[in-house]
Amino acid sequence: MGDTLASPAPAVKPTVDDVIRSRRQNRYAKGAFFALLLIMVVWSIKVTVIEDTDWARIGSLGKVIEAANRFIGIDFSLFPSLIGPTIETLMIACLGTLLGVFLCIPAAWFGAHNITPYKPVTYPLARLMMTLSRSIHEIVWALFFVAAVGLGALAGVLALAVRSIGFIAKMSAEAIEDIDPGPVEAIRATGGSDFQVVIYGILPQVLPQVLSVIVFEWEINIRRSAILGLVGAGGLGLVFFRQMNTFNYHGVTSVIVAILMLILLGEVFSYFARKTVI
Amino acid sequence: MAVLEVRDLRARYSASGPEILKGISFRVEADDFFAIIGPSGAGKSTLIRCINRLVEPSGGEILFYDREVTKLRGRQLRMLRRDMGMIFQEFNLIDRMSVMDNVLSGRLGYTSNLRSLFRAFPRDDIQHALSLLDRVGLLEHVDKRADKLSGGQRQRVGIARALMQNPKLLLVDEPTSALDPKISREVMALIKQMATELKVPCLCNIHDVQLAMEFCNKIIGLQDGNKMFDGPTKEMDQAMLDQIYDMEVL
Amino acid sequence: MNRDMEPRPATPSGTPQREWSRFKFPDSLIGYGIWLSILVFLAYTVEYLDIPLDRLLGMFGRLGTTLADRYYPPDINYIMDADYLEYVIETIQMAYLGALFGLLASIPLGWFGSYNMTPSRLFVYPIARFISMGCRAVHEMIWAILFVTIIGFGMLPGVLALMFFSTGFAAKLFAEEIEAIDMGQVDAMRASGANLFQIMIFGVFPQVRVAFTGIAIYTWDVAFRAATVVGFFGAGGMGWYLKRNILQIETERVAAILLSIIFLVLISEVISAWARARVMTMK
Repeated sequence: MGDTLASPAPAVKPTVDDVIRSRRQNRYAKGAFFALLLIMVVWSIKVTVIEDTDWARIGSLGKVIEAANRFIGIDFSLFPSLIGPTIETLMIACLGTLLGVFLCIPAAWFGAHNITPYKPVTYPLARLMMTLSRSIHEIVWALFFVAAVGLGALAGVLALAVRSIGFIAKMSAEAIEDIDPGPVEAIRATGGSDFQVVIYGILPQVLPQVLSVIVFEWEINIRRSAILGLVGAGGLGLVFFRQMNTFNYHGVTSVIVAILMLILLGEVFSYFARKTVI
Repeated sequence: MAVLEVRDLRARYSASGPEILKGISFRVEADDFFAIIGPSGAGKSTLIRCINRLVEPSGGEILFYDREVTKLRGRQLRMLRRDMGMIFQEFNLIDRMSVMDNVLSGRLGYTSNLRSLFRAFPRDDIQHALSLLDRVGLLEHVDKRADKLSGGQRQRVGIARALMQNPKLLLVDEPTSALDPKISREVMALIKQMATELKVPCLCNIHDVQLAMEFCNKIIGLQDGNKMFDGPTKEMDQAMLDQIYDMEVL
Repeated sequence: MNRDMEPRPATPSGTPQREWSRFKFPDSLIGYGIWLSILVFLAYTVEYLDIPLDRLLGMFGRLGTTLADRYYPPDINYIMDADYLEYVIETIQMAYLGALFGLLASIPLGWFGSYNMTPSRLFVYPIARFISMGCRAVHEMIWAILFVTIIGFGMLPGVLALMFFSTGFAAKLFAEEIEAIDMGQVDAMRASGANLFQIMIFGVFPQVRVAFTGIAIYTWDVAFRAATVVGFFGAGGMGWYLKRNILQIETERVAAILLSIIFLVLISEVISAWARARVMTMK
């Protein structure tokens, strides 16, 4: 008799009370979980926001709104001088992405476990490259390169290139790992070298996917290159910084509008580009 | 009084698209088990879905207990849908919820937002769900997740969910085409039995003529959006069937 | 885009009457034209940005010597300090609060911005899309600077900046996930007379729960990475440490801080990869 309870015997028919009790217990368990979560959140809010904030500096809500209101309005006179930096931003993004693509080739080659030349060494090496590139924020990369090559667009291009490796290489390596081995075997069977296998057996299979990843990364790089100027790496960020420092808040809004326009353009372009690629 | 009266129903999916239903009229009486048969693409599914307005008809009238339903909106439309149970071809169960929650979801039209957020259904509903699950023979699977059941069992859950609404009309959309022949017959028998017992008229759209002839007392034959036949099952003959299925390319 | 790059099988001999050439009159010309214009554009870009290519070559050597002389050895004692650890914890809290509020905001935004479930395709849908695009387009650093100017230094502007950033990030993914659901279950709920809210709870949410959890973990990941640097412009966390030491040219300390950032991001990435893998098996 003991094991009829343990195994779900079909003879045991649940009554309404059973069902209601188990549903209620379920609900209480969930309630307790969410209450715990809520307590944790409230505690962090208390520590980070309430205790840390300089409420005297903020003053009343009215003052905050007043401060925010300063940004409402566009300084149209600034737009002619924004054209140059906007083009510069776009170009930094393009060059950075392109350089990133070149840097990616070894990373993707080493990082795909089906074609990596010497697995115990090259595979972890490539993975390390990808993680390093992704875990450091573009601002930090830019600072680093500004220190190395001086102020200007070159530091921005290098920062974006290095920052792009992680994502492009990771996605490309995954695409390479997922290829159909048939064509590779076919090229090998005709006596092709390793290089020919890559060019004829692998590249055609992954090209559409890789191209769409590149376009995607390019779109993100536009967004990034717009702020690199904050640390002296050229483009719209520099103008933004200057407007901020001269308290020309309407000018700040104008720069943001310019960034938005550029990103919108990038999004439209990448939408059509990915459509034609796939 | 007819349960449902449809007059000159027309439907199209887009303003410039082809007309799917080209003026359909029929009446459903209180004790009817209606079958809608016809080749695929004849508009059977669209017809069923027009009645509870999952598809918007583009013209014509639908009277449900003498109430015009094509103009209903918002809350009134939801009240109408609450009165019509629907059983689907692909079961359309909530895969990641338990059988019990699936059956109880039939009561949503009667339940407040707050209660449905916490899934706190009233005791009466749970009692009702249990008795329905007992009737369809799934009582021991109450706490199983819906995607762990077999096709036949899932359709039984679907039947229980539709009956949970206390419907005044059952709309049944190809209940058997995702099931194998033996299970199909069982499921049809179950629907028929429950409908007779609860005195719910049924409108059942079915591609299997054999099952239609066996279980239904009236038949509508559709072909390319036109009604070809409407009458008691015994008046249906081979010549008529040939005519209805004439255009189906085999 | 570049069809002519793809390999073509060699024509079997024995059909000499048909000439074959890799060069196809209009198509190949257009292809070459595109490549040529890309090259010209790149050359012009290098020219326009005034990039000193000669300096590029010497860069690696100089980079190496700079790293070896000034950034090595990293001042590990500096980051083992209790003060610094406090800032690390602040960074984590800031990231999780920002990600949490951002996620909470992006659930309705994702719902309203999904074409199949939005309450109104004419009004609500474009507005929700516009808001989520705006949040996404503005870089987290710009959000941080804006909030610092409005409400002053501290963690609150950091949390707000991360919140806007996470909202933009997650809302689009949520909306895409909702657009990919099976509409049959939604139809079943509509047919039972459920209202829009109930349809979301019963018809949509169970289907996207797992995917949403995955996205939430991913959002946390990105938010944490951003949290390490928003302090750069005064928005709390360890970014402020970084900036101070860069300004004071304490390069060995900077190296140590960078190492600690990489270390923390790696830990967070390992944990979230594990959590994502677990969530995916819960399907």
